Amino acid sequence: MNADDNSNWWSRLYARYALSGPVALVLFVFFLLVPLLPGEFWTHVGTEILILGLFAMSFNLLYGYMGQISFGHAAFFGLGAYATAMLFTVLKTPAGAIGVPEFALSLLVGPPVAALGALIVGFFCVRLTGIYFAMLSLAFGELLFYIVFSWYSFTKGDDGIQGLLPPLYFQDAANYYYLTLAIVVAALLLMWRITESPFGYIMRTLRDNQRRAAFLGINVRLHMLMNFVIAGSFAGLAGALWGPFSRSVSPGLLGWQESGIAVFMTLIGGAGAFIGPIVGSVIYTMLQAVVKMYTVYWPLTIGTIILLIVLFVPGGVLGLIEKRIKARAGREGDAGDGARPGPGEP
Amino acid sequence: MDIAPYLLQLFSGLSRAMVLFLLSAGLSLIFGVMNILNFAHATLWLLSGYVTYSIFTYLSQQFGVSPWMLLPAIAGAVALMSLVGFALERFLIRHTYARELPEQLLLTFALVLIIGDLIKLIWGVENRRISLGIEPIEMLDTFVNPYHFVIIATGVAVAFGLWFFLHRTRFGKIVRAAVYSRSMVSALGIPIPLIYSGVFALGVGLAAFAGGVFLPLLPMSLGVDHDIIVQCFAVVVIGGFGSMLGTFVASIIVGVVYSFSILFWPDGALAMIFLILIVVLIWRPWGLFGTELRS
Repeated sequence: MNADDNSNWWSRLYARYALSGPVALVLFVFFLLVPLLPGEFWTHVGTEILILGLFAMSFNLLYGYMGQISFGHAAFFGLGAYATAMLFTVLKTPAGAIGVPEFALSLLVGPPVAALGALIVGFFCVRLTGIYFAMLSLAFGELLFYIVFSWYSFTKGDDGIQGLLPPLYFQDAANYYYLTLAIVVAALLLMWRITESPFGYIMRTLRDNQRRAAFLGINVRLHMLMNFVIAGSFAGLAGALWGPFSRSVSPGLLGWQESGIAVFMTLIGGAGAFIGPIVGSVIYTMLQAVVKMYTVYWPLTIGTIILLIVLFVPGGVLGLIEKRIKARAGREGDAGDGARPGPGEP
Repeated sequence: MDIAPYLLQLFSGLSRAMVLFLLSAGLSLIFGVMNILNFAHATLWLLSGYVTYSIFTYLSQQFGVSPWMLLPAIAGAVALMSLVGFALERFLIRHTYARELPEQLLLTFALVLIIGDLIKLIWGVENRRISLGIEPIEMLDTFVNPYHFVIIATGVAVAFGLWFFLHRTRFGKIVRAAVYSRSMVSALGIPIPLIYSGVFALGVGLAAFAGGVFLPLLPMSLGVDHDIIVQCFAVVVIGGFGSMLGTFVASIIVGVVYSFSILFWPDGALAMIFLILIVVLIWRPWGLFGTELRS
């Protein structure tokens, strides 16, 4: 494929949306077809890919676009999941059934609660950058984790909250899958709109040079905080979808290992492309599903894969493809969509 | 007032502090010199615990059971793990110096997963511990395991040794200079790559030492490293990156606060540590004893 050749629509798609355009289109078609596969297994895997992919995408708003790495991002995923799970528990009948409107309401409560959490945590985090940003977000994440873990009377602590059975219609794997697909696609379109807006370009500026952004009259902390809250809300949305999908929530959803999953997915897929984290989620989650069929040593497997990716495929899978395309086109032009981490700290 | 429970918590808090210090000192040195935040540090510590256990068990079978067998076991584990650290730096970590922070974190996090699973593969899922058969001694109407004193004394001794090494020996001075300016040290003709491998080996060696010393007090079990590493991060940040004194003081703060919190809020003791970390990061991001050097 030649990136300079705009004669067919496929190339035009690439020219307009960089690699994310064609990849998103192909993925979308595949995602539509997943429930046609025999058995429910791949539908479950597909749902997981979508939810965790959305979570990783929200992480990349901070990392790929704003240039800060959050090691406590799972706190907002978990907050969303717990908010939904708790309202769900209140609204469901003693027999465990829940109506569609109540179900929708409990899903809707996830993002605002996560956003509120992100507002409080972000207020402090945006004062720092680099390793200190990472550490403070980690500290807040762990604090929230231990609060949820130990506040038994409110959160059921270590036991988690069980019995989150969605309404009968959505108990069918395919129906819940399509619900998730619709919500995630809508969220991603909104995210794309945000990252391509002037606000999105302010984020890129903050990533590349905060001081210069300040000279331009940009309120650095306010914009970072806004992005932090946006990222937290999307993570909360992903969390809201998680509870009814897995029928339960547990404190582990807030832990730093869960944050690590978002980092893995983003780096595997490529932080430099808008759709990168989703690609990472497809690879990570499918691999996990397959590997776990054969061995309990999943951490060893994924650890080795990450090691190889860091050493040999910097920029992730999409970064590699992008490099190939450019090499073939024989030019150094910037066809990326700009979601590329900055060169460290200024 | 009955002070006995508080005394017990103080001793267990101080021994905990010493382990945190031995781990965080290495973590802090490695970060100071190479700018690498080693997520796998506590996992290497865990691995050292298992290695010490195996050497101890082997020696006990060969030469009869004796608590003193712990000493050669620790020495063996430290030597072995230092070599492992040296090799890790040379063959893996080295390739990420030019990369960005997240990729470096990811590499060491991959090591957490790999080494953690290798431990499971080799030693299985049961906890491992060593019983030295030491009788608790009576103190102020309560019984204290005297091994706490061994750990505390050892920790303080190592802290002094480390201070002496960093301030009074040639290699130590080079290491401190490298924290300040790598390029200048390199320009003076000192082989920086060797310093890097040496510092990494030293850090892992300290962790290995901590793993061995702590073995008679707490069983080694899979997954502990995940809890310990974030506490070590807390210690390093509270004390200030690169400050040994800060790391030492922060270890004591974290260790003692943790063990006293257990009395009042058993499940939330770790929450207290992160609360302190948050306060320090907001108030003085460069830590209690750090200097505001890097922006």
